[in-house]
Amino acid sequence: MKPLSRMRDVFVTGIGLTTWGYYEKVFQYDIGSEAIMAALKDAAMEWREIQAVFCGSVYQGTASGHQVIKEVGFTGIPIVNVENACSSSGSAFRLAYQSIAAEIYDKVLVLGVEVMPRGPIPSTAFRPWELASGFNVQPANYANLTVRYMKSSGATLEDLALVTVKNRKNGALNPKARFQKPITLEEVMQSRIIATPLRLLHCCPLADGAAALILCGRRNVKYRRRAMQVAASTLTSACYGEGYLDLVDSLKYPPDEGFVSLSARQAYEEAGCGPSDIDIVQAYDTVSPSELWDLEELGFCAHGEAPPLLRKGHFDLRGRLPVNTDGGLMSRGHPLGATSGGQLCEIITQLWGEAGARQVEGAKIGLAHSMGAGPNSSVTILKK
Amino acid sequence: MDNIRNARPLEEGLWTVADGGLSLLGHRCASCGEVFFPRRKCSHCAHCFRRTLEEIYLGPKGKIASFSVVMIAPAGDFYRGPVPYAYGCVDLPEGIRIKGLLARDYLDILAVAMEVRLSTEVLYVSDEEIPVEAFVFKPLKENRKDEQ
Ligand SMILES: [Zn+2]
Repeated sequence: MKPLSRMRDVFVTGIGLTTWGYYEKVFQYDIGSEAIMAALKDAAMEWREIQAVFCGSVYQGTASGHQVIKEVGFTGIPIVNVENACSSSGSAFRLAYQSIAAEIYDKVLVLGVEVMPRGPIPSTAFRPWELASGFNVQPANYANLTVRYMKSSGATLEDLALVTVKNRKNGALNPKARFQKPITLEEVMQSRIIATPLRLLHCCPLADGAAALILCGRRNVKYRRRAMQVAASTLTSACYGEGYLDLVDSLKYPPDEGFVSLSARQAYEEAGCGPSDIDIVQAYDTVSPSELWDLEELGFCAHGEAPPLLRKGHFDLRGRLPVNTDGGLMSRGHPLGATSGGQLCEIITQLWGEAGARQVEGAKIGLAHSMGAGPNSSVTILKK
Repeated sequence: MDNIRNARPLEEGLWTVADGGLSLLGHRCASCGEVFFPRRKCSHCAHCFRRTLEEIYLGPKGKIASFSVVMIAPAGDFYRGPVPYAYGCVDLPEGIRIKGLLARDYLDILAVAMEVRLSTEVLYVSDEEIPVEAFVFKPLKENRKDEQ
């Protein structure tokens, strides 16, 4: 495998993000085209310049990207639809990055778009007997991991709740988040139980949303100051023997390294940097404890260190390593196929220094991580 | 075990009653020793990739590694059992951890590291009025205060 970082440099030159939330009668082509038009304006680019589209979505049915591009205007270019659960737009981003690095295209659009089905979402990435046994309740699958994480790390129920409190505090400064109101520890601890030990406010809310990013090769960059370089983009699936959601861990052959650590290690190698070089992180807080073990698996601290660091404010907006500066999935909401794209838009906004009240001073390099059913783990590092 | 006449299993081939006892049906790789449940459809071992899978019986003893009591109905109408219900990871002495339902009458006493035993339970009655059974893990008698 040739490292992409040794091929042509790739830059993000424009982003477009809709305000995420639940809307009446909204369609993927409404929010998808809104995000695309904003990204084009941002990159000072015309639609006819775009040479290929990679679109991530999960619940939009067949040819979701085409449904959106039909609204924007067909130009005959290839449109590739990517379904990779909660890493869909991260996976689409990686394909776009590869296609420019390999000099196949110069200007590519990445779209993440999702209008979520209303009510609980049926996760169908299970065998029929598992579905009939009721094993497809993702909060319960995360709850099983949480039980083991709490035992091995010493994290308390209060620690889990503090992740929600931190992220909702950041989300209050994000005009594009679904929830823009801070929340108290008591509110989290008293919300109703979904699957023990997880309560409603330990689980991220869903949302409709779209995110668009325009990627270019160096010579197509119009304003270098606003072009943020893709330092790495990786994607992994499960390593043998590892337990996650539908997967149960092997007692005889547990892996030395899990798929999240693997995706992070590959990203650091590709970017030629380490966790200590990262200024801001978008971690995967689909449930609040997953942000804690995510930070550990991404190499920002050792196993069991995330809860005490969280309590000390290390991951706060004004802490040493701000995590989920836009409020994360907890505030932004989770439109599955658009989530990675939303994370990347926040990193770019922070690197531009345009994040307003939630701006992290001097942010030069950021990492985003998304993961989900499959499993998939997608890590992207962007730098100034 | 609920000895319900005419009951049918959730899915054929997950468990059997052999030598008077209930067992899950799994595969063991004769080369690397890895154990699988349910039996694999693919003919090689998912760990060492050799075609040396042998059928084995798993259970009935187990120990809870983790569990969650689920307070919401799963989406998608695949699950037709009662709510709340519980499922978790159970370690079997054959060297495998599996996901399984936990018996519905004991949701309040479930605990990590609790010894459990394989059983079956009617999960729901189908539209054709046939009881549909699932395999479940039940706390051992000594853990069940109600039956002491
Ligand atoms: Zn084997």
